[in-house]
Amino acid sequence: MAVLLMLLAAGAIFVYAPTDALQGPVQRIFYLHVSSAIAAYGCFAVVLVGGIIYLRNDSAVACFAVVLVGGIIYLRNDSAVADRFARAGALVGVVFTTVTLVMGMLWAKPIWNTFWTWDARLTSTLVLWIVYAGYLLVRRMAEPGRQAARLAAVVGIFGFIDVPVVHFSVTWWRTQHPGPIIVNDALPVQMLGTFLFTLACTLVLAGVMIAIRYRIETLIDEKQSIAEPVPVAAGHRAEAGPEAVLPAIAQRPDRRRCRDLPCHRLRICGCRPRWLSLVVASPSAGA
Amino acid sequence: MNQLRVALAVARKDLRSEWRTRELVPALAQFIILALLIGNFGFQIDSRNASTIAPGILWLALVFAGLVAFGRTFAAEREQASLEAMLMTPASPVAIFAGKALAAAALLVVCEMVLLPALSLFFGMPLSGDVVAAVLLATVGMAALGCLFAAVVARVRARELLLPLLTLPLWIPFIIAGGLAVQSAMGLPGSYQQAIGLLIDFDILFVVLTSLAARFVLDE
Repeated sequence: MAVLLMLLAAGAIFVYAPTDALQGPVQRIFYLHVSSAIAAYGCFAVVLVGGIIYLRNDSAVACFAVVLVGGIIYLRNDSAVADRFARAGALVGVVFTTVTLVMGMLWAKPIWNTFWTWDARLTSTLVLWIVYAGYLLVRRMAEPGRQAARLAAVVGIFGFIDVPVVHFSVTWWRTQHPGPIIVNDALPVQMLGTFLFTLACTLVLAGVMIAIRYRIETLIDEKQSIAEPVPVAAGHRAEAGPEAVLPAIAQRPDRRRCRDLPCHRLRICGCRPRWLSLVVASPSAGA
Repeated sequence: MNQLRVALAVARKDLRSEWRTRELVPALAQFIILALLIGNFGFQIDSRNASTIAPGILWLALVFAGLVAFGRTFAAEREQASLEAMLMTPASPVAIFAGKALAAAALLVVCEMVLLPALSLFFGMPLSGDVVAAVLLATVGMAALGCLFAAVVARVRARELLLPLLTLPLWIPFIIAGGLAVQSAMGLPGSYQQAIGLLIDFDILFVVLTSLAARFVLDE
């Protein structure tokens, strides 16, 4: 569905939207460039919220539900879930930032006559990309489980704070990048329509990518918990509870936590309805 | 008050162990001189352009010396497993972290005491109170961030690889503001007041943030 939407968006970009009078067809990069930038910010917001929830749960402060990015995410009091969302968000966010940077460079070459300029927005986007690429490296190199999650949560939160700071500190530099033209009615209706449609499609794509990545991270976690039962069980407290209560459910961990997955909401996994899993494995049992 | 005493005690311990071994400071001083030597060969330096190139070399040398210094901050603790022992005492992790950061900052200041005279000697960079103030202000925030991420990577496998990757992007605000301050103090265009104000803002922001985050990094 997301692929179809992106194809539709591509059609709208190339067929429906008018060609820019000054810049010619190159201007069509705009739609995907800005959309993927916004999607990347959304993904990093997921990392931030996931990290904060992870740390707060760890310090035993109750945190029950957070609704973010158009209601994609509904996090229970399960820090492993928040952490997996943070991982998925970081990866997808880095992908979208890469798209933004590459698209921007391709657009800049014919218009500014250079691929790169040390402009405020370009610099801060590059820093953003570096910070979250580093975040993914920490995830990869730290011991899996609780430690990696805590350390990476700290990195994710600092990264999110650092980027506006960098942006703010370079704003008085002479800037080449155009300001936000969407909010002040500078766009013709057809262009605005195409942009909003592309934005919506890109956000859906980002959401689906996060959901898929989340599923992969869940499987990785489960593989790890089979290989090394002790450290992971200590790290993910919420997983330790229901096993003691209901051994039969514990043998099918994918079913037990399916209610937390976005795929459940999108009805692509075909597992039990939500109310049933609430009855058999209450989240408070793990705390 | 008690926290401050703990922090000072930890800092004193780190500095004393550095004083007894005298490992890090001579190595860093040599590192800085080598960085200047490389800067000399990397650029075509003559009496006219030396003053425009010197600020860049200052920050490059300082940043990479800082990375080496912070990489060593937790090395001894890790080798002796003494960090766990310190965390088992009633001292709060934030105070321990503040002490480590303080000691690392002091080591970095020692490096700067080598770097700034060497720059003025080799590159003819005028040494003024404005330049020293900008470098010292940047050191405060860089020490807080560098120490935090040194603690983060202390438990990670490829720590030498990861520390620069994590720390450098977060140091960029200090390099932007500090670079601007040093350039304007040396007569290049830019507002010194604005840059110094920004440096102070960043110092406050990141010192507060790192002390909030220190608990999650150290407390295992």
